[in-house]
Amino acid sequence: MAVKVFASLAAVGLLAIAGSAGAHHSVAGQFDMAKRTTITGTISKIDWINPHVYIHLDVPDEQGNVTTWRLESLPTAMLRKAGLTSAMLKGDGGKVTVDGLLARDGTESLAWLLKITYEDGHFYQLGGE
Amino acid sequence: MRSTTKGFGLAPAAILCSVLGLGPALGWAQQSGSDLPRLADGHPDLSGTWDNGSGIDFVRPQQVGESVCVVGCGPSAAPPPQAANRAPPPRPSRPEYRPEVAARVADLAARQVAEDPVLRCMAPGVPRIGPPDKIVQRVGEVVFLYDDVSGNFFRIVPTDGRPHPTDTEPSYLGDAVGHWEGDSLVVETRNFNAETWLTDDGAFHTQDLRVVERLRRTAETLEWNATVHDAAVLAAPWELAPRIAQRTELEIVEAPPCIDRSLDHMVDDSHHTNPR
Repeated sequence: MAVKVFASLAAVGLLAIAGSAGAHHSVAGQFDMAKRTTITGTISKIDWINPHVYIHLDVPDEQGNVTTWRLESLPTAMLRKAGLTSAMLKGDGGKVTVDGLLARDGTESLAWLLKITYEDGHFYQLGGE
Repeated sequence: MRSTTKGFGLAPAAILCSVLGLGPALGWAQQSGSDLPRLADGHPDLSGTWDNGSGIDFVRPQQVGESVCVVGCGPSAAPPPQAANRAPPPRPSRPEYRPEVAARVADLAARQVAEDPVLRCMAPGVPRIGPPDKIVQRVGEVVFLYDDVSGNFFRIVPTDGRPHPTDTEPSYLGDAVGHWEGDSLVVETRNFNAETWLTDDGAFHTQDLRVVERLRRTAETLEWNATVHDAAVLAAPWELAPRIAQRTELEIVEAPPCIDRSLDHMVDDSHHTNPR
């Protein structure tokens, strides 16, 4: 409950938190607000780490080749405050659909996680616009 | 709140029980002198877990069925109970630097994303780490525990009158010694390294940094004040805005590893405003 992460999300709604008591870089400095993507795959791993949790999403192409995406998300304290755990994020192993923002530096298969929707329709919105 | 009528009436008996070692058995240590819990030495017991908001009071999660919205949920979300009971975030406050170092501060601030130590998961230092998230106190010693995004940290604060040690290495959280002024715990910390910032935007300090914190509790709140002294670079001591933490039953947890993977992908130094 007490991890110190200062930020002001209200204005932009899409700012990440990194560091303690005021340290902060913006999501916009890393991800392109104009390059939204939607991908479908299965979650292979959750990195429950700070300052950002990462979700690893295995995404097959039409030939069956699998690319693992890294989806960057919020700090653990914010997810914990919302009652979310790594197990809840991972779900039941079924397909999920992810809305995200692509990396500005051109790194492939890296995105900022906006929303993750599970097969039964329930979702977690972790970034806004 | 102090209850002076009750307090004066109970104090002599409490002291006698304390001398005889009967205080805890009779519960007097929890009642003597005021309605504050107190230890056998008569000082307020600051022990407990204290929710200072952790900088995420602005997060207003909304849940509908199994779905949860954490960010970008719209303005309708009600504040969480803890946030509603706590004072609003303090107004931003910054140290005032001597003119000869102003350019260095400005340069570091401009390159914050590249230079700020805590963005690389380093210890935040004092006072940047803020009020303790949990306090464990016994007679002659207070232990501060922190659950920070950079990790778990602790500070041991002797209150038995011993001086600062002379044989310890400068460190991120420094060397703390405490004493009591009335019901306030006053903690003086020195022997810092120069690897931390006082706050964001380039607020560096020297190894001569000295921080004085004052902590005072009511039954349900803990007030934390801090004053920063570093005459080599600061134009005047910096007095931070007071922070009020609320007692909570929600325990702190083992901090997950702090491993930054973002900074190598940053294409500019953009960052957002700091409410502190």
